[in-house]
Amino acid sequence: MRTLVCIKAVPSSTEVKMDPVTNTIIRDGKQSVVNPFDQAALEEAICIKEQLGGSIIVLSMGIPATEGLLRDCLSRGADRGILLSDRAFAGADTLATSYALSCALEQLRTANEFPSLIICGKMAVDGDTAQIGPELATTLGIPSIVNVEKVLAVSEEEITVRRITDLGREIVSCKLPALITVTKDIRIPRMPSIAGVRFGETGPVEVFGAQGVGADATRCGLNGSPTQVVRSFTPERTHEAITIEGTSSEQAAQLIDVLGGFGL
Amino acid sequence: MVEIKKMALDYLDFLRDESRSIGEAESISFPVTEEDVCDILSKLSLNKTPVTIQGGRTGLAAGAVPHGGHVLNLTKMNRITGLYTNSDDSGHLRYILQVQPGVVLSQMRKDLEDKNISTTGWSQEAIETLESLYAGPEHFFPTDPTEISATVGGMVACNASGARTYYYGPIRPHVFGIRMVLANGDIISLKRGEVFAQGQSLTLTTLKNRTISVSLPSYQMPHVKNASGYFAAPDIDAIDLIIGSDGTLGVITQIDLELLPLPQVIWGVSCFFTEETQALDFTVLVRNEITHAAALEFFDDHALDILRSQKEKGGLFASLPAIDPLAHCCVYVDLHCNSEEEAYSDLYHIGELLSSCGASEHNTWAARTALDKEAQRFFRHAVPESVNMLIDERRQTNPSITKLGSDMSVPNDKLYAVIELYRSTLKEAGLESAAWGHIGNNHLHVNVLPNNMDDYALGKKLFASWAATVTSMGGAVSAEHGVGKLKRDFLITMYGEDHIREMIRTKLAFDPQGLLARGNLFSEAWLDEEVAK
Repeated sequence: MRTLVCIKAVPSSTEVKMDPVTNTIIRDGKQSVVNPFDQAALEEAICIKEQLGGSIIVLSMGIPATEGLLRDCLSRGADRGILLSDRAFAGADTLATSYALSCALEQLRTANEFPSLIICGKMAVDGDTAQIGPELATTLGIPSIVNVEKVLAVSEEEITVRRITDLGREIVSCKLPALITVTKDIRIPRMPSIAGVRFGETGPVEVFGAQGVGADATRCGLNGSPTQVVRSFTPERTHEAITIEGTSSEQAAQLIDVLGGFGL
Repeated sequence: MVEIKKMALDYLDFLRDESRSIGEAESISFPVTEEDVCDILSKLSLNKTPVTIQGGRTGLAAGAVPHGGHVLNLTKMNRITGLYTNSDDSGHLRYILQVQPGVVLSQMRKDLEDKNISTTGWSQEAIETLESLYAGPEHFFPTDPTEISATVGGMVACNASGARTYYYGPIRPHVFGIRMVLANGDIISLKRGEVFAQGQSLTLTTLKNRTISVSLPSYQMPHVKNASGYFAAPDIDAIDLIIGSDGTLGVITQIDLELLPLPQVIWGVSCFFTEETQALDFTVLVRNEITHAAALEFFDDHALDILRSQKEKGGLFASLPAIDPLAHCCVYVDLHCNSEEEAYSDLYHIGELLSSCGASEHNTWAARTALDKEAQRFFRHAVPESVNMLIDERRQTNPSITKLGSDMSVPNDKLYAVIELYRSTLKEAGLESAAWGHIGNNHLHVNVLPNNMDDYALGKKLFASWAATVTSMGGAVSAEHGVGKLKRDFLITMYGEDHIREMIRTKLAFDPQGLLARGNLFSEAWLDEEVAK
């Protein structure tokens, strides 16, 4: 079975730097990691490959340095990487991003390499939109199941999953090809082996620009993004800590004073 | 002036440490400054009150458990007080951080990493030196005991080690200065390279200009990782006698620590084996061929089984990476390299070494990213934790049960022999065990996991017999935990009574009344006999 996993590079820390002019996240690649939800998605794909055989493609859109992250995915069990990297993609919102990703998938369809199953992380830890998966499925014209916490059964033709909803859990079956988005806890990502690291260094990662995947430039990057970010800012933290020291009876007395000061 | 408080219910925790031994004391104090320590000790020495010195109480040999008298707890002396530079033997600039003994290792590491060291009370020169440290390449403190809530003072007192001792040595070579308050309140200040013994004789001068003449013990220390008794050899640097002295010579009030440039690339690789002999062969190969290996750690079959079982139960360890069911044991290699090229070269060479000893580079975890390194760290620390959880489960039906852990090291050429000793004698005794630890230094913590008090007694007997055999192999009875109160008998096995009495006489040069850290290293009965002479 052929599976494709969408990968996003996200900042490795929570201290994200914003571009004050474009109001978009500065992505310099220096401290980027694979979105943890996408790591779990890759692990699910690897488990399916171990069960059914086949291959895994990892697909990303990002700056050239994102190739390193795709190679890391290869070291963990993916077989091939595709990176969409072009200035034309810069500043894309989720609509323009899912369009660009769909172009790469249409190329695979043309080459008769369209995956039976596409797995995306439920969301990215930097944007938190959870839009890419459903948008990509809609663009490709395939069904999608979001918020999957467990794959219960999968074959070449069909997948059955358990998903989380606002009301509880649902068990859903779906014919393939289809797209699922998964929670971070669906699998614990494995570490690469030394053999995997060797493959990651030399394994196939293809890099395409907008033209290379036949994308319409007006639908890519900032041009293709209807989202307008008016302002972005880091919220200020204004909490105070009071340290209470001394014996337990002294601490208790101080605590009573502190709580009393709040009128409690 | 810091108050000397009567022992009360609020302070019961200060009667015990991680060894689970419980002591007794009449009073306790929490000094904040060196002056406080001098005042307290001067006062207590007048009444000949014994004093037990405490840091984070993370020790496993009961060194901080009081045997009567006063508890001097140093956890409030927790400030980083300065920074200076000097040159190493090659002329390279070296940063030396000055800390109080109650500084907690994890906090010091965090402050260094976050570049967030408080400079309150520092000299302008020290502040400028800190600015130059922050502006340059990142630095770190290399000693890495498993218990990161240890205090620096406690680490110096027992010459602490950790996984990376394989490459960086114990804390000893990274200590460049010590200030120590003596039992009578006088102070000794030492810098590395300034005061040396003449043969076995050492002469020190206190800040009050008193001369202390010390005769060093005449035993020959083993050439292995060692935290057993005083560091003693002809012509030693005086500071080395203080490091590892288990609180018996004085109260350390300031420590100058060397910081090292952080390696450019730090990777970890866990290698899994189907047979223990493969792991031993691999260890020898890595020792000979991988020059950037900073740590070589081992986890045996039962340790992995216990971990698997705790993971199955869910809870804390559910998020551990899955361990191959065929994996019998594991060797972890920490790589500290100057470039990614160097790290890749070492990593691939490790793969080749695995093949040459019948293992496979497919059965490895290579951690290069921060998340993977965290997962590896979680795995390594989960091993002892999961064994502790197992023992806690057993204590629910038999509260007297406790884990018995060994801390012995042997020379490189005795690695196979000592493993065979452990395996054959454990099997013969019918005892359950789990072993892990610093195989690069031939230093495993073999833990007997008693099911009842008979097992416990049998385990203690076994450890005593191992102490004798390890000594005959040229090894040490305590490689990193220190002797404290629990391993005194092993120290007699290692050095014999005459040498232990030499150690006592060395102590009495600093502490003539025998008041400090009573019960550590040697018996109080022998100590009192030597005081009376």
